[in-house]
Amino acid sequence: MVNRTPVIAVIGAGIAGLEAARQLKDLGYKPVLIEKAPVVGGHVAEWNRLFPDLSPAADLVQSLSKGAGSVKTYTDTEIASMGRLKDGYSLILGNGETLLCDAVLFATGFHLFDASKKEEYGYGIYDRVITNRDLEQWFNNRHDPRVANPKAVGFVHCVGSRDVKAGNTQCSKVCCITAIKQAIEIKEEFPEAEVYCFYMDLRLFGKKYEDFYIKAQRDYGIHFIRGRVSEVGEAIDGRVVVKAEDTLNGKPIKVTLDLLVLMAGIVCNPDAQHYAREIGVAVDEDGFLRSRDNVSSIVESSRPGVFYAGACTGAKTIPETLAEARSAALTIHQYFNKRK
Amino acid sequence: MRERIASHFDPFVIPFLVGMAFVLGYCLIAMIRVIAQLPKEDRKRFLVSLITPKYLWMDVRDIFLNCLIHVKLWKRNRVLGYMHSSIAFGWFMIIVLGHLEVMLFVPERIHLFYYPIFFNYFVAETEQTIQGSLLMFLMDFFLLMILSGIALAVIKRFASRIVGMRRTTRLSLLDRVGLYSLWAIFPLRLLAESFTAHISGGSFLTIPTNWIFRQFLGNDLNALPTWWAYSIALGVFMCVLPFTRYMHIPAEMLLIPMRNAGIRIRHSRKGFALLEVYSCPACGVCIDACPMSVQKANCKDCTVYLNRQLRRGNERRIEEISDKCLLCGKCTAVCQVGVQGPELRIAQRERRKYALSPSFADINVRPMASAVVHGAGGESGGVLYFAGCMTQLTPSIRKATTSLLDKAGVRWQMMDPDGGLCCGRPLMMAGRTEQARELIAKNLEIIRASGCDTLLLSCPICYKVFKEEYPLDDIRVVHHSVFFQELVASGKLQVQKEEGLKLVWHDPCELGRGCGIYDEPRAALAAAGEVVEAAKHHTESICCGGSLGSLTLSFDQRRPMVQNALDNLTAADPAEIVTGCPLCLSTFVRQADRPVRDIAEVLDSRC
Amino acid sequence: MDFGFTLSPSSAVNLDTVDHARYDRLVQLAPDALTCIGCGSCSATCTAAPWSGMSVRKVILCLQRGRDEEVDAMLSRCMLCGKCTMVCPRGINTRHLILTLCRLDRKGEVVR
Repeated sequence: MVNRTPVIAVIGAGIAGLEAARQLKDLGYKPVLIEKAPVVGGHVAEWNRLFPDLSPAADLVQSLSKGAGSVKTYTDTEIASMGRLKDGYSLILGNGETLLCDAVLFATGFHLFDASKKEEYGYGIYDRVITNRDLEQWFNNRHDPRVANPKAVGFVHCVGSRDVKAGNTQCSKVCCITAIKQAIEIKEEFPEAEVYCFYMDLRLFGKKYEDFYIKAQRDYGIHFIRGRVSEVGEAIDGRVVVKAEDTLNGKPIKVTLDLLVLMAGIVCNPDAQHYAREIGVAVDEDGFLRSRDNVSSIVESSRPGVFYAGACTGAKTIPETLAEARSAALTIHQYFNKRK
Repeated sequence: MRERIASHFDPFVIPFLVGMAFVLGYCLIAMIRVIAQLPKEDRKRFLVSLITPKYLWMDVRDIFLNCLIHVKLWKRNRVLGYMHSSIAFGWFMIIVLGHLEVMLFVPERIHLFYYPIFFNYFVAETEQTIQGSLLMFLMDFFLLMILSGIALAVIKRFASRIVGMRRTTRLSLLDRVGLYSLWAIFPLRLLAESFTAHISGGSFLTIPTNWIFRQFLGNDLNALPTWWAYSIALGVFMCVLPFTRYMHIPAEMLLIPMRNAGIRIRHSRKGFALLEVYSCPACGVCIDACPMSVQKANCKDCTVYLNRQLRRGNERRIEEISDKCLLCGKCTAVCQVGVQGPELRIAQRERRKYALSPSFADINVRPMASAVVHGAGGESGGVLYFAGCMTQLTPSIRKATTSLLDKAGVRWQMMDPDGGLCCGRPLMMAGRTEQARELIAKNLEIIRASGCDTLLLSCPICYKVFKEEYPLDDIRVVHHSVFFQELVASGKLQVQKEEGLKLVWHDPCELGRGCGIYDEPRAALAAAGEVVEAAKHHTESICCGGSLGSLTLSFDQRRPMVQNALDNLTAADPAEIVTGCPLCLSTFVRQADRPVRDIAEVLDSRC
Repeated sequence: MDFGFTLSPSSAVNLDTVDHARYDRLVQLAPDALTCIGCGSCSATCTAAPWSGMSVRKVILCLQRGRDEEVDAMLSRCMLCGKCTMVCPRGINTRHLILTLCRLDRKGEVVR
């Protein structure tokens, strides 16, 4: 290798990309951030507050983008094509520039499941059915007329997760806790509202999650119903009628709601699959990128010089993503040390 | 012409006579058995049709067009059409002309079965007459026609793609014996007639060959062995015929009059079903047509193999094949003989024994009935909209349908606002006809109570059963695509057309092949955009893969079928895929790369 | 002496003694029954459930717990409409499962 600063293309300037870029810069490398969207921060930038401490998402994004401040960043830039070179990779950007780099870090994140694909939930058909993202945007800007002083609100967990029919058999990890967070926030906004969470299994594994769950039960009186919603109908007054089975009681259950929030899950990003194919990186059956080893080297691909950070290898929480971004930066550092 | 064999007989005709006697005896017994197996009223109906001139005319016409000319095959594939009709029609003509020759020249021998077949061996030409030359010419002409067909058949066997078939049937051992003896018959006839052509006379084919052979072979020496070989080939073919696919030749001649008489499958192993099974020529057209064939492993479960297993009585395989099928009906649509693959399978499913059977006779539907009475507000007439089970899972269809009804100013109410009973079609598809009848009786109570004059369905599965199995003579049963097309045509619905918006219509199996509705949905869509066609459409449309017809196909096994159906639909790169079935919609939405909508949604969003 | 009440056998399910021959045979013939996560989608969407208590989820569970009477009562109301197959997140072919069960006697043998 020539004695110049290695260049690392970081694909995606969500929280994984921003944090990894900062760490790489601090380690003395030359990361280049390439972001499809006009702004950095990815999905987190669209969120209002984060579990479990209800800290503002904007603060996190701001501090991460400040950290990556001096990193060369292309926003609003697609990657037209990627190719392998003898000693590195070449990226042709949508603006016509060619970027030659010594390593590639996939921080391509995930897609939020398109809830309208679950026909039976009526997203896009019924006015009162929204998604978790729609609700976060309402928390951000209070513009959505669909959220108008609801008396009864329901949350449907696992929309597009753990569902072969939706093409995603994986658990999205964050929906249970997000539903609880949003349920609490709804309760804070509308203390009179009855709030129901329809779940298959509650998976509250993270730090402070269980505390959050207890708070939702004890302090906010949120109703948890173990049953997956199967159908949503519309009452004459435009409210939505939700049908599920109360599996703990073994009886069908029906409730009329003013607002139904679908917890759209984390699915793979098809762009990442496309790039992965171009440079010969393996993709798992579930569509996420395949790690060299799922225990010991989750941030490495089986191809030298290609690394992963964050949700491109599967659903992740924010702390996990940030930890992985740092881990990826260190792994890249070791990679270049070995090549010297 | 004069006879040259004083005894009018030669031992070489024996193989032919044995074969002929065997096949005629076999077919006669089989025919009596099939007719005897028919239920009494069917038998009567069939026998009456045989003495009714109208039916007789239909029978003769259909047998001529289908068994000899193979018109259906011509429409589908000209090469295959020519191949089959050249052999069938040519052979038929040779038999007819053979008899003509005997009648003309040696009428006293017409009672000898073998005489018309081996005419040229038994006679010597004394003088050339116009009739004689013409007959000889025609004989040679039809022989040449058959030989060209046989040549194509040989090519087809070894390179099916040349004749436009991707896959062809795997033959059983006896089928091979039949096939090779059939291939051998006509070249041997040519040889035999050529070797005797200087005695019996011949025409443009046999005389030159006779001349060629004379140059290096002694014709007289070779004549008898070749006539033997010809007779043996005929004998072998006829002896194995009942056990091979060639049984379709006599079977179809009985199938056609029975079908014309309106006989249906009542039992999967008896009567009409048996006849259909034996009428299958095992051509294998259904293999390429079957939507399951996208996976090679499923090819063995197409109708051609169901027929074969039914003939062999392999119960395990029969069950497997019967339960797997989507019942889309495409095999019947492409079948030359019209073997009803889905009906055979349903009949097979009906025979199954169960330890437990559902019952619905004691369901109390009075609350539902009184709800529709109340909904009608004492007025009779109006539309009763039955959304059905599947539409409950596609609220978009229900919402768009009711919205369109309101926009058109139609007086309507729902039959199942909070869910109702199933229409019965899924039970029928599973072969549980009796239980389905119980449901039908219950639904009838509700429909009658409503006093409606129109029953509107947005699900073709429901539509088919309501139309065919419910005694609703005074109530119009209509699929929403047809109903809305009428409202569009009459101007009650004003649809904004978007020029250049390419829409492709997916023909749902139960609506298209099932009920013959193809044009109305397209006409309605033409008011909204530009209708483009899928690669295969109308009667040949490809099942979405979600069909309730299959009892055993898993979700994963269906996925490639769905993809294949989608690829077929997007051949003309439409902006949207439009269908009229909630099950097709749900199935497609999961895998489609572009919007999939119900016809009601498309119309509702534009008016 | 009459205390006005009697001791009845416990209603608890004893997995040591439960007879699940029918379940064992079912999962041989329809292995996807093994993948049920008991989410209740099938029961919630079931056309027969409102008036019959039919629930594929419960059928699978009751079979494992040896509660055969409940299974038979539920199965005898299924209209095979296919909604449960449509909504099952695990892609279980519920209609095949039900039809297969209907063919099994109590001992788990296929009736012929």
